[in-house]
Amino acid sequence: MIAALGQPAPAHTAFAEARFLQVLERPLVVSGELSWLGGDQLQRRVDHPQQETATIAHGEVTQQRAGKSPHHFSLKRAPQLQVLLDSFVALLSGDAGRLQQAFEIRQAGDAAGAWTLTLVPRDAKVVKTVASITIDGYARESRCMHMQEADGDLAIDLLGALATKMPAQPTREALQALCQGTP
Amino acid sequence: MRLGARATLLIAWLLALAGLGWTVSQRLKISTDLRSFMPAPTTPDQRLLMEQVGEGPGSRLLLLSIGRGTGPSVAGVGPSDEQLAALSQGLVAALKKDPRYSQTLNGSFDLGALDAGLLPYRYLLSPTLDMQPLDEAYLADQLQQRLDDLSSPAASLLKGLLPRDPTLEMLKLAELWTPAKSPELREGVWFSPQNEALLLVQTVAAGFDPGAQQQAIDGIQRAFHALPGSAGAKLELSGPGYFSVVVGAQTRHQADWIGRISTVGFIALLLLAYRSFSSLLLSALPIASAALAGIAALTVAFSEVHGITLAFGFTLLGVAQEYPIRVLSHRRAGEDAVQSVRALWPLLLTAIASACIAYLAFYASGVNGLKQLAVFTIVGLLVAGFSTRYLLPHLLPRRVRDVADMRWLARARVFVDRLPRPRWIPLLVAAAIVLMLAVAPRPFWQNNLAALTPLPQDLLQHDARLREALGAPDVRYLLVLQAPTEEGVLALSEKLQPLVDTLVAKHAVDALELPSRYLPTVARQRARQQRLPDPATLQKTLNEALQGLPFRPDLFQPFLDDVRAARALPPLTPERYAQTPLGQRLAAMLVQRDGHWLGLGTVSGVHDVAALQALGENSNGTVRLLDLKAASESLVADYRTRILQALLIAAVLLVLTITFALRSLRRAWHVLAPMTLATFLVLAAERVAGVEISLFHLVALILAGGLGLHYALFFERDTGDPAEQRRTLHATIVCVLSALLVFGMLAWATIPVLRAIGLTVSLGVAFHFCLSILMAPHASED
Repeated sequence: MIAALGQPAPAHTAFAEARFLQVLERPLVVSGELSWLGGDQLQRRVDHPQQETATIAHGEVTQQRAGKSPHHFSLKRAPQLQVLLDSFVALLSGDAGRLQQAFEIRQAGDAAGAWTLTLVPRDAKVVKTVASITIDGYARESRCMHMQEADGDLAIDLLGALATKMPAQPTREALQALCQGTP
Repeated sequence: MRLGARATLLIAWLLALAGLGWTVSQRLKISTDLRSFMPAPTTPDQRLLMEQVGEGPGSRLLLLSIGRGTGPSVAGVGPSDEQLAALSQGLVAALKKDPRYSQTLNGSFDLGALDAGLLPYRYLLSPTLDMQPLDEAYLADQLQQRLDDLSSPAASLLKGLLPRDPTLEMLKLAELWTPAKSPELREGVWFSPQNEALLLVQTVAAGFDPGAQQQAIDGIQRAFHALPGSAGAKLELSGPGYFSVVVGAQTRHQADWIGRISTVGFIALLLLAYRSFSSLLLSALPIASAALAGIAALTVAFSEVHGITLAFGFTLLGVAQEYPIRVLSHRRAGEDAVQSVRALWPLLLTAIASACIAYLAFYASGVNGLKQLAVFTIVGLLVAGFSTRYLLPHLLPRRVRDVADMRWLARARVFVDRLPRPRWIPLLVAAAIVLMLAVAPRPFWQNNLAALTPLPQDLLQHDARLREALGAPDVRYLLVLQAPTEEGVLALSEKLQPLVDTLVAKHAVDALELPSRYLPTVARQRARQQRLPDPATLQKTLNEALQGLPFRPDLFQPFLDDVRAARALPPLTPERYAQTPLGQRLAAMLVQRDGHWLGLGTVSGVHDVAALQALGENSNGTVRLLDLKAASESLVADYRTRILQALLIAAVLLVLTITFALRSLRRAWHVLAPMTLATFLVLAAERVAGVEISLFHLVALILAGGLGLHYALFFERDTGDPAEQRRTLHATIVCVLSALLVFGMLAWATIPVLRAIGLTVSLGVAFHFCLSILMAPHASED
């Protein structure tokens, strides 16, 4: 099934993300485009509400905000990005082996219809920050990605066509329903 | 003496030596710190140098690189960046707990730099409040930025900090405290362009104390090799401390290697000369006694003995090796050794006494290192002399071969006696000396002691590469700030900071780190404290700033608490700061001396020395650029002046002693003139060859002079007995050959300091021998 999800690089997909953070009263919503540039290079471009681009290449993250000098840091210090890279690149390249290497995988549903992949990072350090990732999809398309952080925070990304459906005031339940619906 | 009595004497002597050796091994504390050998400094720069050589922050810095090993691993397969970074982190973790190191940096972001207890101090340490009050506009802007941060991939770095530090003062401080020019960060740690992980370690031990540095370096290496995965990686060190260790080990290695060869040669020579094993072994006893007694005297008189004293001392003790040789050569067939010594004793005593009296001048020099040298050599020479006179003869075998009967010796004596000895020789030699000294290339003196123990080129290149990559401070320059109090130094430092920033912007210097970078003055901290709003105001401001933002309203309670705490804090002082790693860093930059305080600014990448020196203009001496190299060279020059003064006094004492002992000015002339001329001839010859004269050359000249005194004294002696004259020649030839063997070998050493000693003594021995023969009174004259 994973092999069927594969696409040639570079692959771009729109995303809209809602972050439910304990420090915030309401979720934080951003949207933009995720691009797999081939190999281990991934770009996460945010267009709303602020321009910001994060590029992962060669184990280093470069963060560029409009009007500011770029900020570099090691991928090691951003486990979310590590997980994003591992899962996203593996899915886009259809590389089941790589996915197996980074995560314990649970699969539910039907490869031709709605399905759900649950990924638990194998790296003990990473799992302290990112508890799990759940990807909802339909047939050959990934539709949602839930990143459950160990401290209870949750990020839900609507991918591809679904990205435009992000409600103005998202709730976990509403997004959950969106993700599991049929396209 | 009967056999039983001889055995008893021998055993007693050996036991005494063993006892002395044991005491010495228990009490001897060798200091390797160069400073304890140096004279008391006179100028302020020299005084600072003496304290700062080794103590200065720059000279205590070790530069480390962890690279891929060159072991037998498959080509291209070595530790990955990730593994190297893990090793770097592991090493930092291991060294942090070790009291031998005051700071370990590898580029990793470390919030622990400020103790948890000191966290509220961030508002007093960070420059934010100087420009910006914590008002609504600022807080609102900051909070909006944090919101952006939270939606970015770096959010997890920040989430923990947010409630306590919404304006990120901690990060601003961390940025302020990282070296100005940092290497590339990979895997969260510094990497060089050559793909090595880089670290900076500051030792607590002084940089030019090779003993203590050795321990610090051993500690680093042990910690590194204990790390899992270190087998495939290579740890390399650099820095002044490491160099002092390398140079010491190299010099010792070469000296040992040459020493072993020349010892074998020396033994072979003595066996050939005297054909007696027992004589050879027994004649080693006076020297061994001299060395042990000399050290024992040092341990009684001084709390610590300097390593250089011992090195110089053993060199000078080479004179004592002559005493037993003279006795052995002057044995007559069938005559008791005691008898032979008795005949020889007046002359030997003259030699010993005059050497000892001359060395007294060194004691009077007032320089600790020279005082130690004087005590060691005087005690050593006396013990060697008196044991040769009163103990050795009783042990020597009764039957010996009289060397006077050897045919080659008779022929040699005839040859020597026939040599022309024109009276103009001294004039000719003196004229030659003056001429040679006049045409010799400048400079006359070598003041840079480091030039005598140069570092291998690859080490220097490695150091330059790491220093460049790490932006590590220069070891040569320090910016010195002086004020009556620590607070005064910090105030001066704050005042200088804008000027320094300009210099850095103009590329006069790559970086200049002042103490106020780590701790602002109490006044400035108070001013920042004044600008912190009271709790009610801050609460109100924060509430307003939070309008329209999704943050939970009670989220920032820890921030409110910290600001409240910061308002009431007593300002941070160096003492209060001292327990933290950064306080240690600051402590290395602040020193108290003679009732005032000095701040030491470290300098990296000096491009314009004049611009740096200009910082000190109009400061009335409170700010100055210290050139450690210039100061150390002036110190060496002072040191040499002391030695030369001592030598002058020694020469006067020597003339008086010899004249008194020989009771004739004319005889004294025959002894002293060749010795003096030969000494200057060595100096002139070395100068013409382009050798710059260092302290080590001077010490070697003194040794050669001591040996030359013996040659001249014995050649001058008129016994009227041709056989005795032959024995004198034999003894002198053995002495000359053995000295040439030992020091001639050293002259081939590749390390300049060993070559300096070897060449000077060899030349000296040769010149003294020739001149004392050519200037000795003709047998026929008397």
